[in-house]
Amino acid sequence: MKEIVAIIRRDKVPEIKQVLEDLGYPSLTIQSVDGRGKQKGAMCAEMDSEMPDSYCTAAKLKPTPSTYALEHTLPKVALYVPKRMLTIVVPDDVVTKIVKSIIKVGYTGKHGDGKIFVAPIGGAVRIRTGEMDGEAIA
Amino acid sequence: MKMIRAFIRPEKEQEVVLALEGAGFPSVTKMPVFGRGKQKGLQVGPVHYDELPKTLLMIVIDDEDEKKVVKLIHEKAKTGFIGDGKIFVSPVDTAYTVRTGEEGL
Repeated sequence: MKEIVAIIRRDKVPEIKQVLEDLGYPSLTIQSVDGRGKQKGAMCAEMDSEMPDSYCTAAKLKPTPSTYALEHTLPKVALYVPKRMLTIVVPDDVVTKIVKSIIKVGYTGKHGDGKIFVAPIGGAVRIRTGEMDGEAIA
Repeated sequence: MKMIRAFIRPEKEQEVVLALEGAGFPSVTKMPVFGRGKQKGLQVGPVHYDELPKTLLMIVIDDEDEKKVVKLIHEKAKTGFIGDGKIFVSPVDTAYTVRTGEEGL
């Protein structure tokens, strides 16, 4: 069993739900989360030109670009972007298929399309019947 | 790869996130959660709080950065009082970027 954690755009949720249903794996958990990635949230592009070198020369430096943005209350600064997190637990053999279809549907080509993580799951129980592992997610 | 889930005080979240960014780990997913620990909540006079609000930070990193990131979160989120939270580390097989379809972080 594998757990697929997909952090995707909010408006792609209905489409992805439909695709998962078509594949025969309709079960999922949806959470509303805030995320940030390599672009460090949604800071406007113009900010970079005004920013002193000490803030942007290297990521290793202590006053980070986000610190600068917060201290100077630049317009349109958001440390986080709202996202939807889908958690799906599926058998090993369909992981690639599901990941591929999530990528296909969630793709827009712009930054912020999200990430998908695949992690192992040790066990599962269906609470209603007490079925274990494979049967629990069937 | 490793997934780090840190349950920390909501007021410490920004400090932790900015410190992570400074160390070269800008990517974080956060969500508000409610939880309790060994102390079974919090007793303030006659009022008992069973579940306390916490912030959950989820970070996926390469194996070799695990100790560094855990140490950093620990340093920044620590107040020394009960309720500072917990950090859990679990394995991740693969990561995909939706925009490019590529594997890896």
